[in-house]
Amino acid sequence: MLRRAFDQTPPALILVEGPSDATPLIEVLVDPETRPPVAILGYRTDGTPGSSAWPFASYSPEYQALLWAKEHGVPARFIDLTVGQSLARPKAPDDPEVEAPTESPGAIAAQARGLRSFDELWEAYYEAPAHDEASFNAAIMAYAASLREGPELPLSLARDAVMAQAIEAAIDEGHTPEAIAVVAGAAHVVAFLSGTVDFARLREVPSALPSAVTLIPYSFPRLSEQLGYGAGNRAPLLYQKAHDADTNFERAGLEVLLELTDHLRLSGFQASLADTIEAHRLSRMLAQIRGKAAPGLDELREAATATLGRGDPQVVERGLVQATIGKNVGQVAARIGKSSLQEEFWREVQARRLPATDAPERFSLRLGNTLEIESSSFLHRLRLAEVPYAHFLGREGRRGKNEDESPGGYAALARAKETWEAQWTPATDIGLVERVVLGDTLEQVAERCLEVRLAEGGDTGALAELLLDAVVAACPRSAARALSACGVAAANDDDLPSLAKATRALSGLLSFGSTRAQSSLGEAAIGPLLQTLYTRAVLRAPAAARVDEQGAPPIKAALRILHELALAQSELDQDLWLDTGAQIADDWSVNPTCAGLVTGLLYVAQRYDEAAIAERVALRLSLGSEPERAAGFLEGFLEVNALVLVKSKPVVKALDQFLTQLEVGLFKDQLPLLRRAFSQLGKSERRYLLENVLAARRLGDQAPAAKAILVEKDRATLAAVNTELAQALDDLDDLL
Amino acid sequence: MSEIRQPAEVKYAAELSALAARDSGPKPPGWRLSPKAVEHYLIGGEPVDGVPILAKYVGDRSLVQVMIATLASDRALMLVGEPGTAKSWLSEHLSAAISGTSALVVQGTAGTSEEQLKYSWNYALLLAEGPSQRALVPSPILRAMREGKFARLEEITRTSSEVQDALISVLSEKQIVIPELSEIVSAERGFSLIATANTRDRGVNEMSAALKRRFNFVTVPVVQDLEQELKIVTQREKELRSDYQVGLEAPAELSRLLVTLFQELRSGTTKDGKTKLRSTSAVLSTAEAISVLFSSGILAQSFGNNGVTPEDLTRALVGAIAKEGPEDLKVVREYCETVAKARPGPWKALYDASKKHLAD
Ligand SMILES: Nc1ncnc2c1ncn2[C@@H]1O[C@H](COP(=O)(O)OP(=O)(O)O)[C@@H](O)[C@H]1O
Ligand SMILES: [Mg+2]
Repeated sequence: MLRRAFDQTPPALILVEGPSDATPLIEVLVDPETRPPVAILGYRTDGTPGSSAWPFASYSPEYQALLWAKEHGVPARFIDLTVGQSLARPKAPDDPEVEAPTESPGAIAAQARGLRSFDELWEAYYEAPAHDEASFNAAIMAYAASLREGPELPLSLARDAVMAQAIEAAIDEGHTPEAIAVVAGAAHVVAFLSGTVDFARLREVPSALPSAVTLIPYSFPRLSEQLGYGAGNRAPLLYQKAHDADTNFERAGLEVLLELTDHLRLSGFQASLADTIEAHRLSRMLAQIRGKAAPGLDELREAATATLGRGDPQVVERGLVQATIGKNVGQVAARIGKSSLQEEFWREVQARRLPATDAPERFSLRLGNTLEIESSSFLHRLRLAEVPYAHFLGREGRRGKNEDESPGGYAALARAKETWEAQWTPATDIGLVERVVLGDTLEQVAERCLEVRLAEGGDTGALAELLLDAVVAACPRSAARALSACGVAAANDDDLPSLAKATRALSGLLSFGSTRAQSSLGEAAIGPLLQTLYTRAVLRAPAAARVDEQGAPPIKAALRILHELALAQSELDQDLWLDTGAQIADDWSVNPTCAGLVTGLLYVAQRYDEAAIAERVALRLSLGSEPERAAGFLEGFLEVNALVLVKSKPVVKALDQFLTQLEVGLFKDQLPLLRRAFSQLGKSERRYLLENVLAARRLGDQAPAAKAILVEKDRATLAAVNTELAQALDDLDDLL
Repeated sequence: MSEIRQPAEVKYAAELSALAARDSGPKPPGWRLSPKAVEHYLIGGEPVDGVPILAKYVGDRSLVQVMIATLASDRALMLVGEPGTAKSWLSEHLSAAISGTSALVVQGTAGTSEEQLKYSWNYALLLAEGPSQRALVPSPILRAMREGKFARLEEITRTSSEVQDALISVLSEKQIVIPELSEIVSAERGFSLIATANTRDRGVNEMSAALKRRFNFVTVPVVQDLEQELKIVTQREKELRSDYQVGLEAPAELSRLLVTLFQELRSGTTKDGKTKLRSTSAVLSTAEAISVLFSSGILAQSFGNNGVTPEDLTRALVGAIAKEGPEDLKVVREYCETVAKARPGPWKALYDASKKHLAD
């Protein structure tokens, strides 16, 4: 469309909205080796991370204009604020440019036309119709004028002035105004044409920050997220298809539906061509009803849902995303110099065959060979440098994951195998470019980040986690420093969660650390520190457990850690914990949930025999103790290993007695607490509990009948069989 | 009371004729209104020639557009959804607006026979004069074909697979053969079919692929938004009161309370997301909320109250919820205990009333 206009009235100079200091990059942008989507990336060079990206798809008018210029040997330049000036603009939260999209003038304009979003408006009015030049200009100007009616954005007015100045400069150079083409946002063009540009606004242009500019690959998924910037990019692959088909949106829509059909077939859905054809017809009919020239994304989605999806939007969503957004990643011509970190990243990613598309991909690393250990260190360095690329998903050699764990630290310490999910996005390259100020290699950058955290300090637990981060990222100097900081902090730390966390970290390092090259740390230094931390933590435990309900969760987590370490780590004095634990279990001044937890742990570790546990549970649940505390104890107790606990006859007996003794009013009051305690039980655990309750009430001879009924959940039959049995169930009914 | 309930084409005749008179859009063959005018009729909007056009369906305009676009094609329309989401209501109004009649209905049940789908005979006449046009009793579908109108098939998933198979040939060939009369009735232009299916019936998955391919599917959603459902409930209840000329209007805070209660029990959590709730086995649909509000107005009137009280509402609620058994009442009682009790204003009154009427 734009090209047709240029062919008819060829310009002698093309001016494009875009950072003026990026003009030298135009050559690279239109290099045959460059394949959009790509973006101009401006980034700060003063040591503060900060950047801004100007993406281009091959269907962007700006890109088409630059391409035309190159093909016809016509000069082209960017005329907007420089990168340094744009980066200097304050990013206040009330910046109108980041306002919620529903309130933007664009959204209002869309609603006025009965459409749901600005994107839909753009698609319907500017992208899809086979406009002739005159009608297109009219439509776009009308839209732009309506935007101008909204609140005026100060910087936008200043940008009007900057660009108008550039146009005047071109005229001063001797270009006739008619031979200059300006490709800019419609709102700016309205200002140029209507002569309302206010040059006094030039004073409002912020002074530039030190910055540099480069080109990076971009991707369709990110382009589709760039709402508010540029127009209508929510379905880039659809627009690309339409562009390739000479702006034939109907044809592009059919291609999308055919791809969707294939996708559905591959995922096991019945999808017939008859449905595809009907979807195509329906999408066109919908467009017609809505007064659009051709179906856009909404019509395709709704038509596909009604036909291929049989009314279920979920069925078609994934396939539609694939067919309208895709995961294409652009490519930048090799002659653009990459930063050292980008070089390193791409070299490593290619050599190690790590994922390089904009779609999440999972893989595992086996830590048995040096090569994969190095890959792991590479990924951990990126993680520490906060370059968005790979997520650490987990490791082998441990039961479950603890919710309180962040991805770093102890959680990252793997012995045999670790799993990652990686996805390249433009943010990866942006992150790398921004981090150049921190170092020339990823190791340097990771070390810098660790040093910053080290300088911030923290409790022993945090420092120990930092130590582990340094180890997995293979940053030996930081590791040594973290180790000594940890030792210093331990001497004064009285906080149980912190101490427990640190103990676990060092214990982990001692047992698992051997897979990583550790020579510089020296096990000699780790062992003694571990002993100190463990002893300190265990001795702190009884006092720390005297905590209120709110403070209990971290203490419980810490008690569990100590228990597990004491049983698993041969270097540690097991009895020290077991004796202290027994003391906590029998202490009525500690938080009842903590007491319950420790009691459960000690029972499962066979520290208590059946008689001992029955006595303790009965005591804690007896009428003498407040029901609230009893329920708290129960909650902690059942947290441990509910299945083992509900299978134990004495435990169940004590439980049953407790529940039946509670008088009705009290029972109702305790209902929420009890529910919470029992909510930890799974289905089969509940069944066991019920069965054992029956057994405890010596209804065992009727157990087979009861069991069948329990499975069927048929209460009426049950009541008929035995009223006593029914009563037993009713007591528990509300709970289970 | 059923004679008071007029079919949509009668009740909204004034709206429909005003729309028809002003309708300049192109009409698909056999249609009384253009797609745009049908949309206007269903969603409501600007008055036409001074006649206000009420919203029949309150919800997503684009869904209605998909329904209309489907009906203008070769395919039949299947409305699927939870009970009480206005599937039958939409089917009735679409037929009334497009074909001028919503009366050509077949009610699907396990006992629905192929004859009810196609045709049957008046046996007295059949014996007296042999097969003849006079003796033929056409089904609503056959009549719709002859007249180029829409037929409606309610609760399609409850019909047997034989009946569903028979429907496939009716829909694909668009004709019904009457061998006894050596006649083939081909559908006039304008014929189509609107079926409704209840997702609670779980029969949608069991329909054959061949049958599904004759339909475009639109899922009619349960209304999630409080204000929107409140609007539907109060507006429809008001219409019912004026249709039947009974009942009193409930205070706004009570209808809000009712719809809140329905939405919270339906979703299993309170609006603030803080309390988990058990849910009922009875379906707490929008239609059910309308009926509870309507009944409470009738109760209030017959008790001679000045207005609808929380007591009336509670009684009506119990009536609606007890249908599926005592378990559901327990759920509501628990809701009153844990949620209503702690809330101010009419909630407190609801709680008190529930102590009285929901006691075991
Ligand atoms: N979104 C809605 N807009 C208007 N009315 C509604 C809506 N949802 C429910 N209703 C009302 O509720 C009742 C729905 O009943 P019905 O159409 O029989 O439901 P279904 O066939 O889905 O089971 C109708 O009276 C209808 O007016
Ligand atoms: Mg119905």
